[in-house]
Amino acid sequence: MPTTDVNSPMVSSAAGPTAGQPVLRARGVRKTYRLGRVNVPVLRGVDLDVGAGEMLAILGKSGSGKSTLLHLMGGLDRADADGGGEIAFDGRSIRSMSARELNDYRCSTIGFVFQFYHLLPELTVLNNVCLAAMVRWGRLGYSSRRAGIEARASELLEAFGLGGRLKHRPAELSGGERQRVAIARALINEPRVLLADEPTGNLDRATGSQILDLLAEHQRRTGLTMVLVTHDNEVAARAGRSVRLVDGVVAV
Amino acid sequence: MYHAVLTRTYLTTKVMPLLAALAVMLCAAMVLIVWSVMGGFLVKLLESGRATSGDVKITFPNQGFAHYDELVKMLEADTAFVAAAAPIIETAGLVSLPDDRLEIATIRGVDAASYSRVIDLPGMLHWKPLDTPVPKDTLGRDPRLDPELREKMARAFENGLTMTRPDPISGKPVPAMISGIEMTGLSFRQFGGWYEFRPQFVNAIGKTLPDGSVTWINGFMPDKFLTLRLLPIDSEGRVVEMASLTLPVANEHRTGVFELDKRMILVPLAELQAKLKMDESRGVAARDPYDPDAPATVARTIPARVTTVVVRAKPGVSPDELRSRAEAVYARWEADHRGRVPSASLMKANSLIRTWKMEQQQIVDAVENEIGMVVMLLTFISFTASFLILAIFWAMVSEKTKDVGILRAIGASRLGVAWVWVRYGLAIGILGSTLGLTLAYLIVTNINEIHDWLGANLGIVIWKPNVYYFAEIPRKINPLHAGFVFAGGIAMSLIGAVVPAWRAATMDPVRALRFE
Ligand SMILES: Nc1ncnc2c1ncn2[C@@H]1O[C@H](COP(=O)(O)OP(=O)(O)OP(=O)(O)O)[C@@H](O)[C@H]1O
Ligand SMILES: [Mg+2]
Repeated sequence: MPTTDVNSPMVSSAAGPTAGQPVLRARGVRKTYRLGRVNVPVLRGVDLDVGAGEMLAILGKSGSGKSTLLHLMGGLDRADADGGGEIAFDGRSIRSMSARELNDYRCSTIGFVFQFYHLLPELTVLNNVCLAAMVRWGRLGYSSRRAGIEARASELLEAFGLGGRLKHRPAELSGGERQRVAIARALINEPRVLLADEPTGNLDRATGSQILDLLAEHQRRTGLTMVLVTHDNEVAARAGRSVRLVDGVVAV
Repeated sequence: MYHAVLTRTYLTTKVMPLLAALAVMLCAAMVLIVWSVMGGFLVKLLESGRATSGDVKITFPNQGFAHYDELVKMLEADTAFVAAAAPIIETAGLVSLPDDRLEIATIRGVDAASYSRVIDLPGMLHWKPLDTPVPKDTLGRDPRLDPELREKMARAFENGLTMTRPDPISGKPVPAMISGIEMTGLSFRQFGGWYEFRPQFVNAIGKTLPDGSVTWINGFMPDKFLTLRLLPIDSEGRVVEMASLTLPVANEHRTGVFELDKRMILVPLAELQAKLKMDESRGVAARDPYDPDAPATVARTIPARVTTVVVRAKPGVSPDELRSRAEAVYARWEADHRGRVPSASLMKANSLIRTWKMEQQQIVDAVENEIGMVVMLLTFISFTASFLILAIFWAMVSEKTKDVGILRAIGASRLGVAWVWVRYGLAIGILGSTLGLTLAYLIVTNINEIHDWLGANLGIVIWKPNVYYFAEIPRKINPLHAGFVFAGGIAMSLIGAVVPAWRAATMDPVRALRFE
């Protein structure tokens, strides 16, 4: 498997400074969508390092490929087959992971907050949050841990101001409330990295910053690494560092 | 774990898959009902045969065999296997009915006392006083319940048990026969399953007189006479001249096997033997022409004959076990009468000692074949339910594409996602099969009532007692068949669910998430 040269000086300057080994490292990541005969290059060689415990904001115009990049880092999608570059987690290339390892990676290492929440409409708020734990632990494992997991889920939801809504279904919640449920789901398995696609995009300023406070607090306690995609400069300002996607690359 | 949660949630929130369960239910019920009715038909055929002919029959048709009393005695001595044995004659003849119609009849010469020990004669007799109506006679219109007819019924029953009827003049009992209830047309089967003879309730049967007018006949068969025409065959197998036998009717029998109720007549054994020249006879030597006073000397005695000995097994003894015992007894008996009775090896070679099932092998095989074919065809038809499930699940997977994407995105494996759908199919299958079995059970156990209701209200009569052997549609479900149908319903649902499950499993998570 070809790996790009991680020591190219231009690349490292674009990737930005990080202390020690980065948790996530992207090098020359390319993603091209094919629409009929037309190739639409969305990412054209993204280099990015995400350091352990850092809060990184990714900015960029709509359609610039922010969600795409996040999907690639979360192991949901694959970069181009040839010359698509490399994404490594803890130095381990995602491309080299087996299907099983990839499932584990998505499940326990990464917590993903989708731009459009993506909750299961038939499940209650509580079950939506616990779903990720169910997937992680399997039938027996979940049954034996159930009480603890459900307690933790309620705790998270409580912290996000949804303590009274555990038995509600997503359709009964506002967009912002759904977003918070999605964040709780992303955190239930205590992932090392939270990839959040516009986690405050649907929230008013006050609630949005409240959520960010909660996340920051969570980060302080657990050393969680966070990558936030946002349009909002104010959100970006709260992040430790921010990068901007322009024309499919990370602009300095 | 999430599989269980999702299956439960989908089951309780989605209507379409419940329609699939309904389809499975209908298919399972259809197959099981047909299988039960046809299988029950076969079982009933066998049971009725056993009830009317005993477990094993030893038969040498037409000519019959002599020394049967000893054979019966030897059989009954085998007390571990044989409950009872009785000699009978089975022959064919014509019966001339009250309206002068001639019908072919199966004539059975029986001795009431010995026959009752092998066959449930009292149970076969139809006319007897009744205290509670038969199940479907809701209004209690059965004449056997009528207090005014009670004495008549009691007399008929008594007469039937002894196969005699008092002579109207002398009052002395004279031999009488028992005809089949469907034979004469004077006893009309009502929708409720009981028989009516009272002229105010039923039509009379008519007969044309020489002047072209019609006379109408009705009434109670056990008050009447019947005439049989018989074809006697001597011990050498030669046909003697036609004989005719007129006897009063003591009672009518109802076995539940239409063919027997239509054709079979029980006649006292001694009467039949006499008419068929199967009774004991003496050959008389010619008298001394020169000594008119010399008495006739008996040159030889030809012993009485019967065609058949019916044997009933001890409880717990299978007909096949009994048959091999009977063969052994026959061989010993034959050794005592070598040359004068059919040889044991001949009986064996021609399967003349047989169980009722063997006797009816042809029809049993035919029915079994038919059942197999119909069940197979219905099973094929039921596969439409598989496609229904496939279509519904396919649509559901499309609708739930986003859920699939979410599950994959939070780390569910392909197999795990597929299992959600397979499991769902399994649940639909179990639900549908359970409902189907319940429905089949309800329909089969009430099938006669449903059928009667259809007949009475919509004029639909599917099960005609003169087409089928039985007056009642069988109403038992074989648990093994139910098990097969249950498994089949589940298999069908799984087959329907597998393709959509595979489709869900192979979806690209990001595409699925972007699906609108
Ligand atoms: N499956 C696909 N096929 C073709 N083009 C796609 C596909 N998915 C995404 N794209 C294109 O890739 C580009 C980047 O999409 P992406 O969702 O990553 O943008 P984004 O930066 O997250 O935008 P926004 O801020 O609006 O969410 C868009 O132009 C989009 O049209
Ligand atoms: Mg986006």
